[in-house]
Amino acid sequence: MLAQEHATEHAAAGKFDAGETIIEHVSNSSIDHPLIHLPKVFGIDLSVTKHVFMLWLVAAIVFVLVTTIVRRYLKSGRQVPTGPMNALEAIVTWVRDDIVQPNVGKKWVGTWTPLILTFFIFILCSNAIGLIPLFEVVALLDRAILHSSPDSFLGRVIHGGTTATANFNVTAALATITFGAIIVAGSKAHGFVKHWMNLVPHGLAWPIYILLIPIEIMGLFVRPFALTMRLAANMTGGHIAILAILSFVFLFAEMFGSALAGVGVGLVVSVPLAVGISTLEIIVVLVQAYVFTLLTAVFIGMAINVHH
Amino acid sequence: MPDDPDFLARSFKYLQDNVRRSGPAAAASYTLIGGIVLFGGVGYALDEWRGTSPAFLLGGLLLGLVVGFYDLAKTVFKK
Repeated sequence: MLAQEHATEHAAAGKFDAGETIIEHVSNSSIDHPLIHLPKVFGIDLSVTKHVFMLWLVAAIVFVLVTTIVRRYLKSGRQVPTGPMNALEAIVTWVRDDIVQPNVGKKWVGTWTPLILTFFIFILCSNAIGLIPLFEVVALLDRAILHSSPDSFLGRVIHGGTTATANFNVTAALATITFGAIIVAGSKAHGFVKHWMNLVPHGLAWPIYILLIPIEIMGLFVRPFALTMRLAANMTGGHIAILAILSFVFLFAEMFGSALAGVGVGLVVSVPLAVGISTLEIIVVLVQAYVFTLLTAVFIGMAINVHH
Repeated sequence: MPDDPDFLARSFKYLQDNVRRSGPAAAASYTLIGGIVLFGGVGYALDEWRGTSPAFLLGGLLLGLVVGFYDLAKTVFKK
């Protein structure tokens, strides 16, 4: 409420509000102005917002890219992969041998590699696409050539691309899959009832169980929650840092009342710093995708290899 | 840089090895923080709703600590 008043105050004075601009860039588009209007189903508005659109885009890119590469390799009939297939194979074997197998064990590696590999490639691509100013380039083209109306689909899309994995709902959905996978993994390895019995150590005095069982059940929910917060917060954080540093340009221009001051600060401070942080972001994109998949593998492994 | 041509490859292998071994520790530490944030947040929301500040917040933080440390202890005393 206070922030809103603050924002309207600023807007009324015609001033640049860095906070408002940054939040608009990193947050999802409002459900009142979605990209594509869809009807409500069971009271849930299914309209497509910016983040949903980015998710679809990532899914489409990954699907087309991977199937094309694999089909081309199969058609060529060669045993040794070349070019993009070589890179893809390197990723697949790395995920299988260095992430899944050490945690899950040899027996279950074939069962869980597909899921964890999908996680890795999907998260990596959606993280990476947030760094590429795809829609900003389209916006430039639009301003110069197309001149589409602000209400058209293109007009709404070019408000800027975002990282879908910076939305807590997206990461919560991914973590929910992990949550389900942990239960399925335990049930497949030990049987459904035994999996739940494995949660607590055996052979303790019964009063201890009154304490331990609720703690273990709460721990079940904490793990996916930690995954959710970690990924989304890390992806949002970097973007906010870059935008905050870039907004110095406008803040300084406003403070000194001249565009030259803004451009000067931009050239000396903002742009070099933003380039530096963007480079760091490239590493963050890789590391975050890796950590999510590694933790998923660790949690699945904990359900399979029970030691108490 | 040393003359060894496999220097980079070996470095990556050791890095990968260490990261892999730190996996369970990372999981425990994230559970510790996640527990405190989750139950603290739930407690805060309950306080806001019922107007009982700060009873549920403190209770939630304590519960989060217990769950987090229990998970940490399980990882540490595994062997």
